[in-house]
Amino acid sequence: MTIIMGVNFNEKKLVRAPSLSYDANKKELSPDNEPTLQKALESFYGLGPQLAARIMAKNTIHPLARLGSVPPKTITALTAELSTMTIENDARRIVQDNIKRLRDMGTIRGRRHAMGLPVRGQRTRTQIETAKRLNTLERGGTYSKI
Amino acid sequence: MASANCWRCLARPSQRLLVPASLLSTPPTPASAATFTTSAQLRAVKAGSKDDVNLSRHIRAGKNLILGKKKKRPADKGKPPASGERKAFRKRIQLSNNNALEVPGLSEMTAENIVDPSSVGKILGLPEVVLDQLRASEAFKPTQTWGLFRSPHTLIRAETVDLAKQLTDAIGKKETLRLVITGDRATGKSMLGLQALATGFMNNWIVINIPEGQELTTAATEYSQIHNSEQFSQPVYTVKLFQAIFKANQHILSQYKVEMDHMHLPISVNRGMTLAALANVTKEPEFAWPVFQAFWKELLLPGRPPIMFALDGLSHIMRVSDYRSPSFELIHSHDLSLLRLFTDALGGKTTFANGAAILGVCTKGNNPIIPSMEKALEQAAAAQAGEPIPPRDPFFKKYDERVFDALRGVRILNVKGVSKPEARALMEYWAASGILRLRVDEKNVSEKWTLAGCGILGEMERAALYDVRSPV
Repeated sequence: MTIIMGVNFNEKKLVRAPSLSYDANKKELSPDNEPTLQKALESFYGLGPQLAARIMAKNTIHPLARLGSVPPKTITALTAELSTMTIENDARRIVQDNIKRLRDMGTIRGRRHAMGLPVRGQRTRTQIETAKRLNTLERGGTYSKI
Repeated sequence: MASANCWRCLARPSQRLLVPASLLSTPPTPASAATFTTSAQLRAVKAGSKDDVNLSRHIRAGKNLILGKKKKRPADKGKPPASGERKAFRKRIQLSNNNALEVPGLSEMTAENIVDPSSVGKILGLPEVVLDQLRASEAFKPTQTWGLFRSPHTLIRAETVDLAKQLTDAIGKKETLRLVITGDRATGKSMLGLQALATGFMNNWIVINIPEGQELTTAATEYSQIHNSEQFSQPVYTVKLFQAIFKANQHILSQYKVEMDHMHLPISVNRGMTLAALANVTKEPEFAWPVFQAFWKELLLPGRPPIMFALDGLSHIMRVSDYRSPSFELIHSHDLSLLRLFTDALGGKTTFANGAAILGVCTKGNNPIIPSMEKALEQAAAAQAGEPIPPRDPFFKKYDERVFDALRGVRILNVKGVSKPEARALMEYWAASGILRLRVDEKNVSEKWTLAGCGILGEMERAALYDVRSPV
């Protein structure tokens, strides 16, 4: 197990993978037989493929590297780098504060966020699954699906 | 109102049914069963006692379609292959096949007969020792059809003798032969490379082989920046290469001793240590590149054996690689240290005191199109033939000067199809191995030779051995 920013990762995990799908529920602990095509860096909230690629290039890690093959020195450097970035709860708080501000002002956008409905004037008869999934006051929080 | 007729199929009961049953000699059938067919009885017999009277269903001759009942597939109980197992199976190299017939009367390849023009068109076996060395240096490819034959043999073609002669002549004069093997798809370029490596092993040269250029440039192996330099080393690959060099050249390397002081190395290397020990001294990726540099310096000292440095998949290393530098710019392949070593040698920047052969083998399977490389090879071929050198396209901006540097003044060996006598020798070998079920005569040889686009070897295999080769 390798620990980055206090999160345990399986050794076989790719540091960064080309695909983009990720299920956040699996992040905290991953059993050993977890499919290896998960990402470690991109699993942090607020850190996407672009930033991950840059961080990896900065530490000269190739895109298909698995965590087991990255030397401990580099892991420490990664942790140090990540600790200076606005990711995880800091990033969540920014988003949540923005939504909260809208709600407190009593704007339509804030209200729609609170109701879990589309915010920008879309129809609501059908096709509001994304809004249902994402729009909450606690966006990106414990009960949110991202 | 009930009708005597069948409702569904509108068949009329035959006259036989209307006759009272007592008048019939045959045992009576149930009234609901149709008599124009025997399938009811057959079915009743088949089903046994369980539902022999359950004939209320309508019965029809032939197949009946049953809808709505899906058969459940039994769950697959086999274990799924472990990670890496499938790839290992795909990449496995099988060099013998006990089902194939042994071909009597074929001699073994030696350092002498490979340069002998009279062995053109002969099939020669690879000696056991060379086989191990070739295997260690990964000269065999999974796409080649070694697995169809009893033991590995190769066809000696005119190009083979020509190449072997060029190699031995240049090294005999302590010169450096820089050569690029090119040619159409499936003409046997890699096989020619293998024969060249075999020549190297049989002449006791130090053979270094990079089996796939693209392994180094597709960003699939570790890389790290070299301190105080713009280059990047590939430590894990270097360790792997060291292992291959050690295994393949152990008996030569162990005859020579380290002669220089390597103070800067992170591990202690003493004078008097053998070169084999130096090649095997580190498995630590961190130290791999400095040690490799030391090893290379030792090899370049006068009085060492000649070097053969070969790389397959030349076009893959003539482009910008997929690696990124810390400033997030793409790294040119020639900034990867191991490839820089090769391109410097190929471009003539390195001087070899003991003679050397630097071989670049092109590949046409999945190669990227690189205009600079094509132009450089064209120019080199024209220079070799003594023709006017074709100029670069003045309106094309993206020529890569480093590619021209790397290919400056190389010799070109353009591989084409085999001649008909060579094709015949090959087909006779196939037939003697029991793989080709065909009379090998003038007509059949001509037919396969023509089908294969004037004797392109890969196509000849496809035309002749299509049904037996492995599905790769």
